[in-house]
Amino acid sequence: MNAPDRPATRTSLRLLSGNHACALGAVAAGCRFFAGYPITPSSEVAERLSRLLPEVGGVFVQMEDELASMAAVIGASMGGVKALTATSGPGFSLKQENLGYAAGAEIPCVIVNVMRGGPSTGMPTRPSQADLMQARWGSHGDYPIIALAPASVREIHEQTIRAFALAETYRTPVVVLYDQVIAQLSETLELPRASDIPQVERRWASGPREHYRPYAPGDDGIPPMARPGSGYRVHTTGLHHSESGFPTQDPATVDRNLGRLLAKLERNREAIDAWQALWCEDAELLVVAIGISARASLQAVRLARARGVRAGLFRPITLWPFPEQALRAAAAGAKAVLVPELNDGQMRLEVERVLRAARVQGLHRSNGEPIAPAEIAARAEEMMKR
Amino acid sequence: MNDADLPLRGAPSAAPAAAREPVNVLIVGVGGQGVILVSKALAWLAQAHGFEVKQSEVHGMAKRGGSVFSHVRFGAQVWSPTIPRGEADVLVALEWAEGLRWLPYLKPDTGIFLADTKRIVPPFACLARRPGAPMRYSRETPAQVQEHVAEGYAIDATGMAEELGNERVSNVVLLGALSRALDFPEAQWERAVAEFVPKKTVAVNLEAFRQGREWIERSRLALPQAQAPAQPAASGSNCEVRLEITPGWCKSCDICVKLCPERCLRLNAERIAELAEPDKCTGCRLCEWLCPDFAIRVHLDPATAAAGEGQARP
Amino acid sequence: MNSIVDKAAAFDVRSWIRLEMMPHFLCPGCGHGMALRALLWALAELEADRDRLAVVSGIGCAGRLSAYVDANTFHVTHGRALAYATGLALARPDLTVVTILGDGDCLAIGGNHLIHACRRNLKITCLMLNNEVYGMTGGQVSPTTSAEMYTTTTPQGNAEPAFDACALAAAAGAGFVGREVTHHVPRLKELVKAGLSHPGFAFIEVLSDCTEIFGRKNELGSSAEMVMRQKSELRPSAYRDTVDTPFRPNQLPTGILSRNDRPEYGAAYRAAAAARRAGAAAMASAAGDPK
Repeated sequence: MNAPDRPATRTSLRLLSGNHACALGAVAAGCRFFAGYPITPSSEVAERLSRLLPEVGGVFVQMEDELASMAAVIGASMGGVKALTATSGPGFSLKQENLGYAAGAEIPCVIVNVMRGGPSTGMPTRPSQADLMQARWGSHGDYPIIALAPASVREIHEQTIRAFALAETYRTPVVVLYDQVIAQLSETLELPRASDIPQVERRWASGPREHYRPYAPGDDGIPPMARPGSGYRVHTTGLHHSESGFPTQDPATVDRNLGRLLAKLERNREAIDAWQALWCEDAELLVVAIGISARASLQAVRLARARGVRAGLFRPITLWPFPEQALRAAAAGAKAVLVPELNDGQMRLEVERVLRAARVQGLHRSNGEPIAPAEIAARAEEMMKR
Repeated sequence: MNDADLPLRGAPSAAPAAAREPVNVLIVGVGGQGVILVSKALAWLAQAHGFEVKQSEVHGMAKRGGSVFSHVRFGAQVWSPTIPRGEADVLVALEWAEGLRWLPYLKPDTGIFLADTKRIVPPFACLARRPGAPMRYSRETPAQVQEHVAEGYAIDATGMAEELGNERVSNVVLLGALSRALDFPEAQWERAVAEFVPKKTVAVNLEAFRQGREWIERSRLALPQAQAPAQPAASGSNCEVRLEITPGWCKSCDICVKLCPERCLRLNAERIAELAEPDKCTGCRLCEWLCPDFAIRVHLDPATAAAGEGQARP
Repeated sequence: MNSIVDKAAAFDVRSWIRLEMMPHFLCPGCGHGMALRALLWALAELEADRDRLAVVSGIGCAGRLSAYVDANTFHVTHGRALAYATGLALARPDLTVVTILGDGDCLAIGGNHLIHACRRNLKITCLMLNNEVYGMTGGQVSPTTSAEMYTTTTPQGNAEPAFDACALAAAAGAGFVGREVTHHVPRLKELVKAGLSHPGFAFIEVLSDCTEIFGRKNELGSSAEMVMRQKSELRPSAYRDTVDTPFRPNQLPTGILSRNDRPEYGAAYRAAAAARRAGAAAMASAAGDPK
């Protein structure tokens, strides 16, 4: 696992649900604005933040709809404040319009999507992992995005903090994807001390105003942003724009800016990619899973190993961009790859794309029931018999 | 005319010569100046001389600053209450622009134009008419006006009234001037003045009347046809108006051309707005405000010092 | 009296726009240019700090106006400008937040945001430029298209009734509601000033003209004729107090139409939050007291 080491210093143990851990993580990361709309199973994030934010000088607002809450979050972030919204599938669909704006105009923000069944209203109280592709491709057009997939309450806290760091660093929306089970699961965890949580700040424009170009790439392809009130009076638009920030339809200029936009995460993959690889070194069968399915897979891998199958687990923590290199390395010795997930094969498609030669199977379920470890182990053994 | 018939005590010794045809006196000004007082005094005097008198007044919005005018007609027989266009024998203007507004009513060949050089900017006539603002106002000089009238006098009645210590008696200064145009005896005029002005101000009004009357006498001696002693509205404005037009921004929509109150703009051969008649431009800024393309900027440059000094100002 | 105080001369619109963006993209004769001038004039007369001025606009002809303002400008998604502005104004109460919306932008796709912005009464000045049509997409019917008017999607004439946006905003609780025509730029400027000075949400409907598309489709004459029509027959109440009799019975009243003193949401929220923090601090110190 290349995720940052857990801080050495710990405070007292807490019993927290995933959604509450998300709220605490956001405040710890410096989030001072939340806009949302009630939706099961994410509402606890909003409820907790409605109490927490005013205590730390932040603002909570319940907007008139999901579109508005996404818009308000971007508005607050354009004002220079770290901002969060939380929703579930139907709301995530509605947020896509403005999420695309944040991606194109490069406005940092964090969107929590507690996945539930679909399509449409689906099963509001049952778990699902069916928004993986929507998290990547939900808004129209080509754009870069980061999605994180925590698998435990502790990891929700940790990855929410990390989501803000990534959003601010790379000026991008970051989606935190988890499912209804861990959202409403309470686990005992130790929260890190506030002083141990790094506060990652956006890079702000500096230097002479007349030379500032809002979308001129910095050394790393990430343009410093102008904070309203700092004297840089700039234009922000969802239209294709030149380095000046003003709209353009000049093909060469669009190529240049869109090219930088699409490459900005790619050139920072080392910092963005995160995964967990367990027993992969000698694995002949690799299980690839996220969230609640990864928790079942971990037990399944143990069961399979006990029965003599050399199984390993690869768990993407950064789901998008997909950790291709790490997966290839983990699957180097595998004869078969199994992808258990609570959808009809969304991550399997991605695994097949990455591991073209390997034998990849899915174990898919979309009926609201999690997949049990024994089912995964049984399928693993079956695959190895062939 | 038979003096004995006059109901007036101490009847006047003479009556206007041309009384068979109605004598038409048009008195104009703005609200608060005393137009009605002047016309009532004249009507009373004519009545006292046995004429049939019709006086019809319209006081516009009846607000201070609103346009006010009064038609006074008297003669052996008068039918219509109002003076037809081109039929006024005398036009008395207590305010300069109001005088110009009514000029078409003056008899072209014999009409007498008597105007105070006082300028009062009507509040509704122009969008920029707030106190002290550069005003859209008539630019005609008294000399130009006098080319169009048979006999014209621009008199600084307000200035004279101020010197008498009461600006409000300027209307009676003009009444004094008017008395020279109508052949009623001076004493009767003075009685009419005393009859209508507030009792406390009779003395100053009589003095105003005499000064107005004397001013006309002096003017007639000096230069009968072209008196322009105080060139009040010489430029109509304290400023030279200049339009800065950004050709690259103009989209030829024509709004400035069509909505200019003075119609002094046009589109040139390239269909770009330009100021075709700078002399007519009053600097009202309507074109600047209505240009959707921000292509017009009105500059009101201070007028050159020589032209601006020594003139009567409101 | 040679010294002239010419307040109108003090405002040069060019000092408030981004010159490098000119000429702007609006069609010849478009009323939106006059509306933008009135807004900038109002801001100038209020001596607004343009470093702390944020102009948020939606999509459409009106939405493009923000790009011309020399300030912090945000051209966001269709209909959502008020929602973006809500986030911005709540997060940054030090900013003056103005939104520029079109009629479809504000009342159709963004109608819900308008209603709730009015209800919430957060300090935002919202200009809705009503030209009765979706101009940028080629002239389709909008929620404010007058009855029987032709658009590309009402080939038989519009049969839908039009919204009275001001009545809607007032009913939804907006702190300040006003309406004005573009023809009367100084008057519109004064209305916008009053709106900007209001502590709560200010909704201002500007009756603007789409000359090239709506005007042409309905044979409303030249740009100049359309502007004159605003004065002569369209909405005469602006002139009600300057002429003896109205030209015709008043259809859409102009001027400040309603005003209330409901609490401004941002200030109310911050006050409640401060009280909560103070209460928590008091409890913490009481708990920490050894006695």
